[in-house]
Amino acid sequence: MTPLATRDLLGTACRLGAALTLTAAIALLGVLLVQALGVVDVGFLAGAPSRFASRAGVGPAIAGTLWLAVLTAALSFPVGIGAAVYFEEYAPRNRLAGLAGSALANMAGVPPVVFGVAGLALFVRGMGLGPTILAAGLTLAMLALPTVLVTSRTALREVPRGVRDAASALGATRWQVIRRQVLPAAGPGIVTGLTLALTRTVGAAAPLLVLGAPAFVTHAPRTPGDILTALPTQAFTWSTRTEADFAALAAGTAVTLLVLLLTVNLGALVLRRRLR
Amino acid sequence: MSDALHDPGTGTPGPPATPVLSATGLTVRFGGRPALADVSLDFPRGRIVALIGPSGSGKTTLLRALCRMNELIPAAVTTGSVRFEGAELYAPEVDPAEVRRRIGVVLRESALFPGSIFHNVAFGPRASGFAGDLHALAEEVLAAVGLWAEVGGDLDLPASALSAGQRRRLCIARTLAVRPRVLLLDEPASALDPVAAARIESLIHSLAGDVAVVVATSDLRLAARVSDVTAHLDRGELVECGPTGTVFTNPRSKRTEAYLTGRIP
Repeated sequence: MTPLATRDLLGTACRLGAALTLTAAIALLGVLLVQALGVVDVGFLAGAPSRFASRAGVGPAIAGTLWLAVLTAALSFPVGIGAAVYFEEYAPRNRLAGLAGSALANMAGVPPVVFGVAGLALFVRGMGLGPTILAAGLTLAMLALPTVLVTSRTALREVPRGVRDAASALGATRWQVIRRQVLPAAGPGIVTGLTLALTRTVGAAAPLLVLGAPAFVTHAPRTPGDILTALPTQAFTWSTRTEADFAALAAGTAVTLLVLLLTVNLGALVLRRRLR
Repeated sequence: MSDALHDPGTGTPGPPATPVLSATGLTVRFGGRPALADVSLDFPRGRIVALIGPSGSGKTTLLRALCRMNELIPAAVTTGSVRFEGAELYAPEVDPAEVRRRIGVVLRESALFPGSIFHNVAFGPRASGFAGDLHALAEEVLAAVGLWAEVGGDLDLPASALSAGQRRRLCIARTLAVRPRVLLLDEPASALDPVAAARIESLIHSLAGDVAVVVATSDLRLAARVSDVTAHLDRGELVECGPTGTVFTNPRSKRTEAYLTGRIP
């Protein structure tokens, strides 16, 4: 085979790959939307779960997921960004700091269910919080932390050496250099990482199920001490029912979750524009 | 303002013989062979000193040692002494940020900050707690480097919109905004077109007097034209130092003569 023919073949294979990826995405969304079409309405979004599929809604689950998003962000963002600044700007360049940094980075690859098991022992039972929004928020924050740390470190590292040197040369203290030049320059990259961490975490059902999210919660949580309910676990609960009506409810819940995550992404897009 | 660096003789300038900045036995290592070896050199008040020598001769390391920039590199170890207005810059109680406000440096790869011209000029004064009129200060330093008229007084212009030569002058302007007593310039005119390079050169001339200027350059013609004193560095050692006219026409050292005439020893 001539080199040119090889290149043609590779090009065709790549085109095929792109087409398959696109098809998979469209099929996934299509199936969900078709199923959810008759389900998602105001009554569904505002209503509470019910034994009767026609009356069931995801109001409490939406409230729960919003609570979890806020708690996860509030707990993991400052801590994760702070840790990233420490490792990139302050930590001594020795083996111990390097080892600690990469160990934490590897936590980003630990499956969510593992965090669920740890959260169950630590927060639900150890601290006696029970299966509450707070216990779940703490667990999801732990899950988000490594991703926040890794992506923030990458964003900080991409700030050119010349910017730091120039700021130091102008008589800025180390903290002024970080606060006034490095963090703003890394801002868009950090926001991208935060978005990734938040959407990945808030969409996870496994840790919440392990924590013991009840299948049937009819009251929207008003405080973090209230009983845990969330969109991913609600979708899971309904998907275990055999009736077709409940499968449609699960699809409707999944679409609701997707729309929420899309909103987070859009918000991040606007924020990144502003930071540039 | 830290007491350690406070100029005791403000208002009563010392005799002309006292240098504003004085290095003694200055040695810098980044692990291994010293990048700067036992250099002792005086920098006279209000004069222009050129540091010449091939790349790797220690010009940049010396400049960075004079304003305590080397310690931002974790491996750097500095020994010896640098005295500014009689005060030891490497004394343990001296804050390096304070040193860099008195001894301003424009690094070779000086990066502009993202954002406007104003943002670039205002950063230094703000960091040191400047409480006056930042716009007036910006106008003053931009006028000093000849940029104020060129940008039509538009401080909100993004710094990225400037030409290479203008960027270089903006870097000098933002350093001047901190009001240093000594200005260190690393290869100030390199990689510029002849017109832009000539502008930088006349700028250096106009700045001397108010501040002492140290120019590290591999451009011998620039060094010969602009400086009062020339110091030749080679492999981290100070080979020769003297009035520029003497060093260029009648160097004492064979190594300096070889370097100036382009012969590789």
